[in-house]
Amino acid sequence: MKKTKLGEFEELVLLTVAILQKEAYGVEIKRELEERLKEKLSVGSIQSALKRMEEKGFLTSEFGEATMKRGGKRKRIYSTTSYAHKVLAEMKDIRAGLWGAIPITFETKLSYVLK
Amino acid sequence: MIQSYPVTPPKWPLKVLQFFLKKEYLEEIEGDMEEIFLNNVEQLSLRKAKRIYTWEMLRLLRPILLKNLKQSSTFNQYAMFKNYYKIAWRNLLKKKAYSIINIFGLGLGIACCFLIFMFVQDELSYDNYHEKGNRIYRVTHGSKSAGDSQKEAKANPFWVWGNAPIGPALSHDFPEIDKVVQFSGRSDILLSYGDKTYQEDGVFFMDSTAFDIFSWPLLQGDPKTALIAPYSIVLTESTARKYFGDKDPLGKSLKGSESAGRSNAGDYTVTGIMKDVPSNSHFRFNALLSMSTFKKSRPDIFNMWGYVDFYTYFLVKEQFNESTFKKKIPAFLLRQQDDPKSTYTIVIEPLKDVYLRTSAERQPGETGSLPNIYVFSIIGIFILVIAMINFMNLSTARSMERGKEVGIRKSIGADRGSLIFQFLGESLMIVFLSMIVAIIIISIALPNMNNLTGKEFVIQHFINWRTISFVTGAMLLIGLAAGSYPALVLSGFRPALVLKGITKSNTGGVNLRGGLVVFQFSLSIALIAGTITVYSQMKQLLDKNLGFDKERMLVLDYNYDGAVNAKSEVLKTEMESNPSVLSAAFSRSVPGSYFPNAGTEIQTADGEMKMMGQPIFQVGMDFITHFGLTLVAGRSYSREHPSDSTHALVLNEAAAKQYGYTNPADIIGKKFSQWGKTGEVIGVVKDFNYVSLHRNIEPLTLPLEPYASRYLTLKIKSENITETIQEVKQIWSRLAPHRPFLYSFLDDDFNRQYHSDFIFRKLFTAFACLAILIACLGLLGLATYTAEQRTKEIGIRKVLGADMRNIVVLLSNDFIKLVLVSIIIATHAMNQWLQGFAYRIEIGPWIFIFAGLIALSIAVFTISYQSVKAALMNPASSLKSE
Repeated sequence: MKKTKLGEFEELVLLTVAILQKEAYGVEIKRELEERLKEKLSVGSIQSALKRMEEKGFLTSEFGEATMKRGGKRKRIYSTTSYAHKVLAEMKDIRAGLWGAIPITFETKLSYVLK
Repeated sequence: MIQSYPVTPPKWPLKVLQFFLKKEYLEEIEGDMEEIFLNNVEQLSLRKAKRIYTWEMLRLLRPILLKNLKQSSTFNQYAMFKNYYKIAWRNLLKKKAYSIINIFGLGLGIACCFLIFMFVQDELSYDNYHEKGNRIYRVTHGSKSAGDSQKEAKANPFWVWGNAPIGPALSHDFPEIDKVVQFSGRSDILLSYGDKTYQEDGVFFMDSTAFDIFSWPLLQGDPKTALIAPYSIVLTESTARKYFGDKDPLGKSLKGSESAGRSNAGDYTVTGIMKDVPSNSHFRFNALLSMSTFKKSRPDIFNMWGYVDFYTYFLVKEQFNESTFKKKIPAFLLRQQDDPKSTYTIVIEPLKDVYLRTSAERQPGETGSLPNIYVFSIIGIFILVIAMINFMNLSTARSMERGKEVGIRKSIGADRGSLIFQFLGESLMIVFLSMIVAIIIISIALPNMNNLTGKEFVIQHFINWRTISFVTGAMLLIGLAAGSYPALVLSGFRPALVLKGITKSNTGGVNLRGGLVVFQFSLSIALIAGTITVYSQMKQLLDKNLGFDKERMLVLDYNYDGAVNAKSEVLKTEMESNPSVLSAAFSRSVPGSYFPNAGTEIQTADGEMKMMGQPIFQVGMDFITHFGLTLVAGRSYSREHPSDSTHALVLNEAAAKQYGYTNPADIIGKKFSQWGKTGEVIGVVKDFNYVSLHRNIEPLTLPLEPYASRYLTLKIKSENITETIQEVKQIWSRLAPHRPFLYSFLDDDFNRQYHSDFIFRKLFTAFACLAILIACLGLLGLATYTAEQRTKEIGIRKVLGADMRNIVVLLSNDFIKLVLVSIIIATHAMNQWLQGFAYRIEIGPWIFIFAGLIALSIAVFTISYQSVKAALMNPASSLKSE
């Protein structure tokens, strides 16, 4: 995790794409993430995160099918790259390592706060 | 969900998005947005969905999603611009001669065109300043002609100058006429204040309604009352300054001399100061006198339909209809005049037509000429076209050199559009530089132009939005038109061919250039022919035998001074006793000056007395022999017949014809009555041009009136003219010391009538010469270019034994052929065009041949320099260079 700058919000979007698999297109990503984060997100923020990550090589995309609801415009389905998997796994390990290193008293305090 | 109506998101945010967003993202995001919108419509209200949609759309405008407006692409453009600019600049500097010819030629063309535009603009602006101008009309007087043929109308032109009663009659009979203003013919009057005395030429007696009708703002005084009381005078600002300096002139009194036939001498009270009459007025003056002054002195003539001394203008109300008004005129005149047999009639002219479109004579001031305006506009367009052709020719010719550049640009990825852009940009840059040159030329030429035309052109008048946009538009148009050919041709090159060096085989350019040169020279030849025509016509005008002596005639003007007239016999003998003075005579007017009109009754062949009006020229003793007039019948006035001054009349042939005598001898001895005189016609003189040759010779009576003269003319010997004038002056100051010695020469005075013709000639010649100069500049450029292109060829020819003559012929041949073709085309085209005018301008094809020869010799001269230079070049050096 040296040069792979993955922002916090980007990481969330990336994970959502990974969850949604074949359904990972703009609207669905937004809906899923809004549900999980319990807050409204703008299309702009999601789109810019997606585009940035695509540029950085975390995502690839291809056109999916078009629906009536979209005025005949095709969806763009995003999928995570193996590089993204590697980075996500690394981040998870780092975090897990960090969590493990926290003294127990602090961890309980923290869990209260989180509730 | 069933939708009863189509639910669509608002349009404009999408437009914004489409404009700003990267193309590759557009479909996905548009789709997403629409899906979200429809979801929202289902869940929320339509309005809210729309609001969210718009808001979201705007929030999509994030740097990463946007087109590269600011970043990489702009940077590239800038670099490209820099490169274009640099290349253009280097090209200009590389061939300085071409660049100068190109820029200077075009600049000169634009400057000429703009100067002409200013002139035309000024001519068209006459009388536009009158706020009520579109409601002002004037009356022209004439007689009903039996046939309505053009010829008859020409023989009896209408006069602007007419009688007095028409004015009150019009305002009484026509409710649609708001106000009438009448003013007298031009008067010359001597005004003095303290020790300052000046002769004011061209003042008018004018009705007090003048300021209601014409927009002449009064700086001081009340416009309503200024011209009501007798002996009131309104001065223009500069006249007031002349007499009063910085003092307040209002209420002061000026001593005024008698104005012959109009008013007695008296003290005029200054009742108003008006702004100077704008230079673009069809008549101008230094002062206005109240009409009541005139009326007080000569009340009788204000009821005389036959007495001609008034101009009548009137202001109509809004509902005025010109055609219905015209229909009412015959009945109106019948009602007003006592004589049902009268052929007198009037025609009205709107103010906008009085300067350029009037055919009436006896104008209160100068008139312009619409044909002249057309001629100048055509010259202006010709000059611009010639300059543009130069520009096109030189840029196309030069552009062929740049085939390699185009090839390289194309092979490294330039598309056609950007090449067109580059070349058009280059030509716009040159046009811009020419524009700067043009502005410099204009600012240098403007004072000269003012001298030439006597008009005051101020550049500030032309700096307004209309002109600026016009000029910018013209600049773009010239740049695009001139640059389009090279841009289109060059950008169409195929790089592979160009880089192999196969561009010179392109003959299209050569043909086009040839065609343009032919066109250009046709225009030039037409202009040269025009110049020759103008010159020959002017020469005819100036050299024509007028029927009287105008050479070496010294005219002394004493403005009807009674004391001088009383001494006239003594003056005449004294003057004639001087050996340098051949003869002397008094007269009330001189040829080319002003003639009042008089009604004269003369017995016709059937014995009745017939009343007719015609100009009157009162003369002194010996006038007829003195002026070299030829008697065709009868005798002239003589001292041996003492009754001549009251009972005799001499008239001209035209006047004899007017009364029905085709043979002048038949009118001798017939009874006449004129202005209180009665007697017999004693002589008829041959028609002489007492006014400008532009006018037909009108009937004229020359009654003997020795003691009511204004001028003393002296025929003097041609030697030592200055000394003679000195001697005459001494005699004058001895006999009439109170009167300033004012002299002029008759031919100068007479030729002053042709002032506008002189201006026309000068302008025409100047611009025609410039047009030819510009055309030759172009030819020089082309010749230089061709010579350069063929350097190698010439080198080889010389090595193989060609001599200089061969080479000069070789190089000049092409151009000479082109010029010859132009001569043929110009002759043919102008001949066709002149068919319609043939009865006016007598010019034969020889003028074109002559003009063509001039053009040809200029062209040969231009080309020869280059071809001789090329021919003299050492072949070793031209073949060595690679």
